[in-house]
Amino acid sequence: MIRCKPLLGTFVEISIRENEDGLEAVENAFNAIRKVHDLMGFHNPESELSLINHLAHKEAIEVHPWTAQVIKIAKEVYLASDGLFNCGIGHRLVAAGLLPRHITFTNHELGGIEDIQFLAPDLIKSARPVCLDLGGIAKGFAVDMAVRVLISEGIASGSVNAGGDLRVFGKIAIPIQIRDPEFPERLIEIGSLKDGAIATSSLYFAKRDQQISHIINPLTQNLSEVHAEILGSFSVLAKECVYADALTKVLALSNNEHHPCFARFSAQALRIAA
Amino acid sequence: MMIWKPNPLALVGLAMMSAPIIAHAKIYVSVEQAQKILLPNKALSKTPIIITDDLQEKMRMASSIRHPFQGDRIWRASDGSWLVIDEVVGKHEMITYAVAINPNGSVSGIEILEYVESYGYEVAEAQWRKQFIGKTANDPIKLNQDIQNIGGATLSCKHLTDGVKRVAVLYELALKNTSSPGAQTQTIKAK
Repeated sequence: MIRCKPLLGTFVEISIRENEDGLEAVENAFNAIRKVHDLMGFHNPESELSLINHLAHKEAIEVHPWTAQVIKIAKEVYLASDGLFNCGIGHRLVAAGLLPRHITFTNHELGGIEDIQFLAPDLIKSARPVCLDLGGIAKGFAVDMAVRVLISEGIASGSVNAGGDLRVFGKIAIPIQIRDPEFPERLIEIGSLKDGAIATSSLYFAKRDQQISHIINPLTQNLSEVHAEILGSFSVLAKECVYADALTKVLALSNNEHHPCFARFSAQALRIAA
Repeated sequence: MMIWKPNPLALVGLAMMSAPIIAHAKIYVSVEQAQKILLPNKALSKTPIIITDDLQEKMRMASSIRHPFQGDRIWRASDGSWLVIDEVVGKHEMITYAVAINPNGSVSGIEILEYVESYGYEVAEAQWRKQFIGKTANDPIKLNQDIQNIGGATLSCKHLTDGVKRVAVLYELALKNTSSPGAQTQTIKAK
């Protein structure tokens, strides 16, 4: 059975070998993804993420363990990448019209993920106002949560694909196609994957739809360099999709397959030239 | 343990292996399956609606989707839930989807039935589209079953979100005030 639902701003596909028997497991896996969507969506002014952006610099915020985990991993990748991965770029996407404006930022001294402190495992506070966007990591996390549900419900093998960020699990190796960055309607069979994840960053859909680059360079203050113009396609393979997803930004911005960050998370980088 | 086997050709030159695929057609679930998934254990009666020009125009304005809505794939459950099947036809894709609506008017679920992707002129042509409509994954149409795990830049579902908006307008203006659940066929005039 292969099912598909619109979630996380993209199309999420869940594929398992079972048919009727697996219906409930797939339903629960979609519910896990919807939960990530509800907790960490930037578009929803009621999400925990919006609450953090609104209040975390003023008061401690109690968050769901999943939100806490994503923020923890985001901080981990931030440190390992020397700041190349930073979720504190939401305001750049808002300014570019790529995300909705819920909060008017009067304070120009916006901080980043480095300002988020854990007071307890599920209690956070921010040293400065922040405008976090978890768009570069939450999709991968949602895929992992869906896979976790499927496995716990006794599904032996399958895959979850959130608009290009995908993870396969079980005994079977699955062929993986990725889009040719120059002709995205064409697919390149890049190999086969068993028990692992792959995520990709590229700008071909943004270019097709005449949108400004959504890949933000968090290290520059120079407005002309904020929206990184990258060519080609940048994929990362990792055991878990949350790391694959976050690390594609490190690969795209560093343009370096041997950035020490990848070894640190047992990941493998793969570039396709346009 | 993760096992990654790169395609040996990938080491030679990736661009050489790119397969010229005209359309990715994916068929997920049939109409019957979507009904079972979205409104489980509910008896549905088909309730087609005639879409007046006025209603068509209001749905277009609310959603910015120009492709006309067909009112013949609408079902109603005895508890007042609805199921509507619609298509969005964009420049690059055609998506058939089902929306389930609670008796109070809120959307209770969305399921994709078919997703056909193309970058050419084909999507705009009714004849080309027709070959996919109502197919299932078991049909002998040339669906490449090997193309399953497509990675790549995130594909936006914004267009589909617009489609769901027009179904919401349909509910507000036409379905909401439909009386007697037993009615098989009704003609509703938009307000």
